[in-house]
Amino acid sequence: MRRGSSSIRAGFAAATAAVAILALLTGCGVGGEEAGSGPRAINWYAFNEPGGSYQEAVDDCNKQADGRYKINYVKLPNIADQQRELLVRRLAAEDDDIDIMALDVIWTAEFAEAGWIKPWEGERASTAEEGKLEGPLESVRYQDRIWAIPFTSNTQLLFYRKDRVDEPPENFTWDAMIDQAAENDSAIEVQAAQYEGLTVWINSLIAGAGGEIVDENGKALVDESATRAAEIERKLATSAAPPGLSTNREDEARIGFESGRSDYQINYTFIYPSAEAIKGFQDKIGFARYPRTEPDMPSKPPLGGFNLAVSEYSNNPDLAFDAAECLANEDHQAIAAEKGGLAPSTESVYERESVTKAFPFADVLRESIDNAAPRPVAPAYSDISLAIQKTYHPPSGIEPKGILETLRDRIGKAGQGEIF
Amino acid sequence: MHTARERVLWSIGILVVLLYALIPVVWITSLSLKTPDQVGDKKFFSGISFENYEVVFSDDTFIAALINSLGIAAIATLISIVLAAMAAYALSRLEFAGKAVILSGALAVAMFPPISVVGSLFDMWRAIGLYDTWPGLIIPYMTFTLPLAIYTLSAFFREIPWELEQAAQVDGATPFQAFRKIIVPLAAPGVFTASILVFIFAWNDFIFANTLTSTDAARTVPAALAFFTGASQFEQPIGAVSAAAVVVTVPIIIMVLIFQRRIVAGLTAGAVKG
Amino acid sequence: MEAAQAGATTAAPKKGTTDRHKAERKLAWMLCAPAVIAMLVVTGYPIGYAFYLSLQKFDLRFPDEKEFVGLSNYADVLSSSTWWSDVATTVIITVISVSIELVLGMIIALVMHRAIFGRGPVRAAILVPYGIVTVVAAFAWRYAFDPTSGFVPGLPLVPDDFAPLTDKPGSLLVIILAEVWKTTPFMALLLLAGLALVPDELHEAAKVDGASTRQRFFRITLPLMRPAILVALLFRTLDAFRIFDNIFIIQPGGAIGTESVSILGYNVLINRVNLGLGSAVSILIFLCVILIAIFFVKVLGTSTAQQRGEA
Repeated sequence: MRRGSSSIRAGFAAATAAVAILALLTGCGVGGEEAGSGPRAINWYAFNEPGGSYQEAVDDCNKQADGRYKINYVKLPNIADQQRELLVRRLAAEDDDIDIMALDVIWTAEFAEAGWIKPWEGERASTAEEGKLEGPLESVRYQDRIWAIPFTSNTQLLFYRKDRVDEPPENFTWDAMIDQAAENDSAIEVQAAQYEGLTVWINSLIAGAGGEIVDENGKALVDESATRAAEIERKLATSAAPPGLSTNREDEARIGFESGRSDYQINYTFIYPSAEAIKGFQDKIGFARYPRTEPDMPSKPPLGGFNLAVSEYSNNPDLAFDAAECLANEDHQAIAAEKGGLAPSTESVYERESVTKAFPFADVLRESIDNAAPRPVAPAYSDISLAIQKTYHPPSGIEPKGILETLRDRIGKAGQGEIF
Repeated sequence: MHTARERVLWSIGILVVLLYALIPVVWITSLSLKTPDQVGDKKFFSGISFENYEVVFSDDTFIAALINSLGIAAIATLISIVLAAMAAYALSRLEFAGKAVILSGALAVAMFPPISVVGSLFDMWRAIGLYDTWPGLIIPYMTFTLPLAIYTLSAFFREIPWELEQAAQVDGATPFQAFRKIIVPLAAPGVFTASILVFIFAWNDFIFANTLTSTDAARTVPAALAFFTGASQFEQPIGAVSAAAVVVTVPIIIMVLIFQRRIVAGLTAGAVKG
Repeated sequence: MEAAQAGATTAAPKKGTTDRHKAERKLAWMLCAPAVIAMLVVTGYPIGYAFYLSLQKFDLRFPDEKEFVGLSNYADVLSSSTWWSDVATTVIITVISVSIELVLGMIIALVMHRAIFGRGPVRAAILVPYGIVTVVAAFAWRYAFDPTSGFVPGLPLVPDDFAPLTDKPGSLLVIILAEVWKTTPFMALLLLAGLALVPDELHEAAKVDGASTRQRFFRITLPLMRPAILVALLFRTLDAFRIFDNIFIIQPGGAIGTESVSILGYNVLINRVNLGLGSAVSILIFLCVILIAIFFVKVLGTSTAQQRGEA
């Protein structure tokens, strides 16, 4: 008969048995390991900080905890949207595996309203607020309560080629910058892909003209500043745009600036240590505050960063609060500045020598963060951001004239939970 | 017979088909062998460096994802084939009303848009605690592969001369012996082919893996690829993703190359034996 | 063929009456039961549940606001321009990719059927796209067209700033390319099965009568392959309409206007965790799929009889 088929059968049976055994050994995939009778496991969900500073904070706090708890650093993907997706899914499933989360500054209202995070009250609230810069402080407040402790902050600066353009004056506007770049036949690197980074840009443009996007309940407050933002975006897209502007994110902008195709770059501070890799390039980089929308109104730089929040479904909330306080302390902020290029949220940390060495632009940084414009604080923020992204994309295709109406309409629908 | 011109034309044609099939595979392999600063050079081959593979294999998340993919796909395949074999046996051997209904129903399941189901499954699984677990993925996989398995197995079973079984029994074998010694060897190739097709389906799936998992506990490789971490908060991990992609692809390609005749036979419902 | 096999095992002329029939039926249903139950539970129940959810206003971020709202979610979806433009995008992708696949698949099927040598390598080669993980291939294509690191912008005839992924037509092009690349082999195999059923004698007879290759193809092969072609088209159209993986990886989130209906469903359901609205989208997609199937079966006369083993 067919000897081949019986050997196939045997092989198949063996393979199945092997995999079945493997499956049994690795278990049916229950979440993280419980430490048993040892120190309580506190799981910290945060993005994978490549400089190692987050890991150092974890190790340090574990030592200080002296056996009371042990923090596990669970690494999330780099992109904020993906971090949110993963956290939301677990929290919606009421998963008790998360104890502390590193929340992007824009998620506070959403997570608080959904009942996914615990408020910081009494003494803990004082600890969370103490000595913090205004920008980060505002980002943990929602409906008069504190929902997280600020940890690392971030803002965007204007970086320019010292060897190609002059130092920008104090009232440097976007219009002036675009004109200068166009004159030099060069470009300006901004983030204009259809993602959160676009909202960051538009929000700062609008705030720089004194406008607001929504109030705490999600009601649209947009006025002509939205049209102004559209005009600036369109002007940049038509006269000083780098190729691929409509898919530019932070990293594409960095690479573009390093390749020499642009004289100006608006980006987070990570680009500075990154530029060390190219010989002599770092010396050519000058830095200044975020450009103004209107010549007579100071600019409102964007605010990024991570706050540490405690999950509503944590099994050890008190330990989680303690661990979060430890992680977010001033020493760890300083290490994050040194090794990760992440700006501190506590004012006094800026005076440390290690920080001023890591950031030659420490003063501009602190000033920017203190005057930063947070993105709209509303539970439906991710929908509102999506509405903004859709309205202001692609950069070369927007029509400033009707944009106010479109934006109002979309934000209205977003706030109502409808399709837009 | 075949002119030289014909041979040349056929050779070109075959070469074109080969190129078509292999370009993306070659490309992603070349990306995986590049060092980070070679990534931007737009060339196919810049040299061979295994550092991306080192990164990938030292990443616990990826190893966990590999184990998840392997285990979940294997178990789902096993269950699906068992259920499908029973149904295919009934459908090809027995006479009963409702055959058409079952087959049409299976066809309907094959046409289902997964997105219509993931929302409910997400909610259902989180309510009963199957979210982010192996069974949480095994159950949809084995269900959505049932139509494929049933059709493939039915096609193969229809070719089996069942009278041999009766002949063996007449010759004195017990029903079980007849089944084991005659039918099982004849059915084995079909079962094997169906298993391969089902395994490929489960290994490949993205939408269920993405939606119904969130950690290393159950996330499979396709979903893990989409969430790879890179060097910095803003940098694209092209090298790491490519290396992971190659690791995941090589076993499948080897399997496909070895079993190509069977796969073709299975997909063409037995019409083409290779 | 098959019918004779099945018939050989029945004895009595009247169905459903004899004990043997009853026993056979009972055995048959017992054997089929697990598979049937699995399919019902995992598809039937969730669809029912999705329908139930679609009648509620239910957003996981506002858990206190859950309430019954009847068909208003459907009204919202069907009156939003986003839904209809996504349907249009999906239809465009479906029509273009299936058309290309049909032609390419037919060519490959003919090559495999008639090749005078090299059948093995061709067969192996076309199974590679079939076996490869869709997400992996999608990444390969996305990186290939990336303006800073892809090889396509570096090719001889291609302009240096060629960046299709920065605008809608270009993005759709890359997505369709990825889709066609991945699924043409499957189409080719389905067509090959149909080709194999065309009797050679007809071709011989036609050759004797002096028919050219083209005449033979269009007058004999194609008409006889019609049932197989229709089945292949049915399966592929349904698959293409449900496109998800390629868009998710090549233009995440369905950005730059490449959002398909499945991606929309995912964004609303999983990203915005708006289960009520998202379920309405899911049900609407399901109805679209049913419409397509009905169209193929009733209007075009696709017969799945061969799949059901009756032809």
